[in-house]
Amino acid sequence: MLLALWPDHWSRSQRSNATLVAALVLMALVLSLLGQLLSFFPEPIGSNAALFADGALTTLYLTLVSGAAGLVLGTGAALARTSRLAWLRYVASFYIWAIRGTPLLVQILFVYFALPVLVPGLNLPDFAAAVVALGLNVGAYNAEAIRAGLLAVPRGQTEAARALGLGHGHVFLDVVFPQAFKIALPPLVSNFVALLKDSSLAYAIGVVELTNVGNRIQSATFQPVATLTTVAITYLILTTLVTQVTHAVEYRFDVEGRAK
Amino acid sequence: MSKAYIVCRDVRKRFGEHEVLKGVSTEFQTGQVTVIIGASGSGKSTLLRAINRLEPHDSGSITIDGVEVSDDQRTLQKQRSEVGMVFQQFNLFGHMSVLDNVTLAPRRIRRTPRTAANEQAMLLLKRVGMQDHAHKYPWQLSGGQQQRVAIARALAMQPKVMLFDEPTSALDPEMVQEVLDVMRELARGGMTMIVVTHEMGFAREVADRVMFFDQGCIAHDAPPAEFFANPANERIRAFIGRVGG
Repeated sequence: MLLALWPDHWSRSQRSNATLVAALVLMALVLSLLGQLLSFFPEPIGSNAALFADGALTTLYLTLVSGAAGLVLGTGAALARTSRLAWLRYVASFYIWAIRGTPLLVQILFVYFALPVLVPGLNLPDFAAAVVALGLNVGAYNAEAIRAGLLAVPRGQTEAARALGLGHGHVFLDVVFPQAFKIALPPLVSNFVALLKDSSLAYAIGVVELTNVGNRIQSATFQPVATLTTVAITYLILTTLVTQVTHAVEYRFDVEGRAK
Repeated sequence: MSKAYIVCRDVRKRFGEHEVLKGVSTEFQTGQVTVIIGASGSGKSTLLRAINRLEPHDSGSITIDGVEVSDDQRTLQKQRSEVGMVFQQFNLFGHMSVLDNVTLAPRRIRRTPRTAANEQAMLLLKRVGMQDHAHKYPWQLSGGQQQRVAIARALAMQPKVMLFDEPTSALDPEMVQEVLDVMRELARGGMTMIVVTHEMGFAREVADRVMFFDQGCIAHDAPPAEFFANPANERIRAFIGRVGG
């Protein structure tokens, strides 16, 4: 969407940079102005505008932190899953199997309530517990996306890199990973957008994010239509902005000009 | 005088039940151009890949300049940077420009600064006639052009020997010549080359030595004039007949 704004003669990286900057500025603008914008709305939105804005900020923050953790974790798990060491493969497979086979809500509740019982002294505050659970969850899904990417890089690429005398680290970082990441990017984006929405489940352990705010206001004011519509539209705005950023990243990696 | 640069002693390799190399022993001299021919599956590519350990051999020994080819990573990486390899499928890095493909190894292994690496790469690209395409990506090039870039990439580490694994087999007929021309030029410059190919014309003209592989063994090894004039046996005669000697 944003990508189409730029003049035809701009290069790929110029367009990509412009989109990235525009989307990030837009996101900052939306978040900082959301409170003021909503304050012009009729009751019960107007008087609670600041709460909505704070909730949206918490949602985005929660998503960014657990998304970053999930990317690192997913890369690690994908590497472990394709490792030559059998025990590493088993550990990664177990992690992916356990996370994908259980509901996210259970995982969030588990980290918040059960983990302190299992590990005495580990008392995570609600936000941190949500980050851990969401990060672990999206990490498992990312692992499979990245593994698919790693497997899709032709064997000849690794062989050519090794034949040049490059060490394992350079073969991976310079040749395999960039190509694998490009292939994994669309499913990673889906995972990230899903994470943004799934972060709403953190409301179960009392994190005051967007959904929690909406739910509190609708039960206090008995106006579910207005409040929940506001919540839904705010999510839509956030996901739209996030996909603009990721499209820009995808466009940058697409040196073959396949993306339209 | 020329000396034995690569020495293979009783090299064996099997894939499951199938023994692809059945005790191959030979030497490759510095400055020598060796062309290896033979039916597919006869083990010629496997020997080439064993030399830079893309396919580790099971027993026997291979030495490069007196140093054993083994799994020791330090030695292996040093050996590989001195042994250039060109593949049938080019294997250019698809996410990098032509220039970056050529400069990657010098920048990473020799830590050559980017500007110096670029200058050196442009000279190599000029040598293979690809200097006007330096900023293109591999997908924008024809097969012949990609293979010429792949040769420049292999030359970037200033190797002492170049291995060619069927470099023209994946090319359209009209592009074969441009790649062979580059290889001919290399040979003329004194490069030590081991070339697995089906191009009999190239073997006749450029090779110092033609080697015929049959079922995992070197069945015949002779200078090209002798090799083609009186084939050592019926199998070789039939093979030359089939691929158009």
